[in-house]
Amino acid sequence: MSPVVSAQKIADELAETPPSSAVSLTMSVDNYLDVIRGVVDLFANRRQMDTIYVTATISSDSIRRVLEALDIDSSNVYFVDCISQIMMGATSAQQDDRTTLVESPTMLENLMLKIEYLIRRSQSKDKLVVIDSINSLAIHNSNWILSEFLHILVSGLRSREAYTVILTVEEHSTPELNNLINLVCDHGVRAGKEEAE
Amino acid sequence: MAARTGERDRCVTGVEGLDTILYGGIPRTNTVLLTGSCGTGKTSLALEFLIHGAMKGENSLFISVTENSEKLLANIIPYKFFDKGLIKSGRLVFIDLPIMYERLGLNKSELSMEEIDLLVSSLTSLAEELGTRRLVIDSVTSVCYKLKTSEKIRDFILKISKSLSDLDCTSILVGELPAGSESYSSFGVEEAIADGIIIMANMERRGDLLRTLQVIKMRGTMHSRARYVLDLTPMGVLLVPLLKGGSTA
Ligand SMILES: Nc1ncnc2c1ncn2[C@@H]1O[C@H](COP(=O)(O)OP(=O)(O)OP(=O)(O)O)[C@@H](O)[C@H]1O
Ligand SMILES: [Mg+2]
Repeated sequence: MSPVVSAQKIADELAETPPSSAVSLTMSVDNYLDVIRGVVDLFANRRQMDTIYVTATISSDSIRRVLEALDIDSSNVYFVDCISQIMMGATSAQQDDRTTLVESPTMLENLMLKIEYLIRRSQSKDKLVVIDSINSLAIHNSNWILSEFLHILVSGLRSREAYTVILTVEEHSTPELNNLINLVCDHGVRAGKEEAE
Repeated sequence: MAARTGERDRCVTGVEGLDTILYGGIPRTNTVLLTGSCGTGKTSLALEFLIHGAMKGENSLFISVTENSEKLLANIIPYKFFDKGLIKSGRLVFIDLPIMYERLGLNKSELSMEEIDLLVSSLTSLAEELGTRRLVIDSVTSVCYKLKTSEKIRDFILKISKSLSDLDCTSILVGELPAGSESYSSFGVEEAIADGIIIMANMERRGDLLRTLQVIKMRGTMHSRARYVLDLTPMGVLLVPLLKGGSTA
């Protein structure tokens, strides 16, 4: 198996992009942990920026546990969780200051509204929004609506000078989806398997 | 966009999404009907408009008709930017209209034309005395219930709009609509006279309830006519466009 791109390299590549960039980060299922470490810890935490982590794949609880296991400080990480409610019947009572639940991954407007709220509330100079992942959102939404969503989201975040990182899982992606992401992103970071030289 | 000749001065509402929809804000001195069914966020939006005005040093007046203003203040969303000092300093004033009715002897179920004039002139002198630049009547529908006929309603809204406009005041009249109503106002008169109409609604989509906002008309400016989804938050009213592919309608 080819080796995967290291967390440090992912962070370094992100660090080269200016604020208000929209970055497409293509990863492999094998290096999810490196991606999390690279994006949340080595990139955002190092630069003391708040991370707004949108999860449509696994619950925010699980990601929180991953962060803990990796010994990553999550005090500046805020979750917008659009999977716990439909998958596990979580109720708004389980929301807290750091976790906002969205009814389902089809409620894309609400997703945008929650991100907007957290961005406005954030006190950090720079802000990062992570979408984990576009493939999960694509399971629940048509490409057409997803494209509309990404355009509105990314232009809104650009105007607030926030970084947007959109995770794409290469094993689950399609050419149409890649195309759609390339239309809104101005940088691509490949964090999948290292391509054989 | 560069200001053109004849471009009207704007009253920046401070609700960012709304100012974007309105290409910069409500044209100053307009009287806007903010209408919608219950619980759609009319009071919250109208109040935020006044708070932002007061924060910018524009004297703001909330005329409460339906709810006692003390109770209203106890129930509003705890806006992070709302400094209660604005009330103490008199920048933001709350008046309960029923108390005013009582003082003026208008505590009856139907007002005559003369009494409407008295009500309009009293509200106008109050706004003048206070140097009001932003005013909200919540709700104008409750006032209209005391007027009964379309002629009187038309007369009242025309006169109050004109007087407030002459005072260089930008106003929001809150209108209440029954749920599912197809029209923009309860009496069908208000909408024709108002300079602007903003409609707030509840929309059901696949079992989820969304709050929406749409600007139907606004004299003196271009504006988006699209429907927006809104969220009432402690950071204020937030708006995003309703995704077209997401509507089941
Ligand atoms: N403290 C709060 N935090 C968050 N949301 C709140 C809070 N208080 C009220 N709300 C929301 O705001 C809604 C009411 O908003 P608002 O009073 O602005 O609507 P309205 O259109 O004026 O209603 P009405 O028809 O009763 O006058 C409530 O139904 C609730 O969902
Ligand atoms: Mg109300």
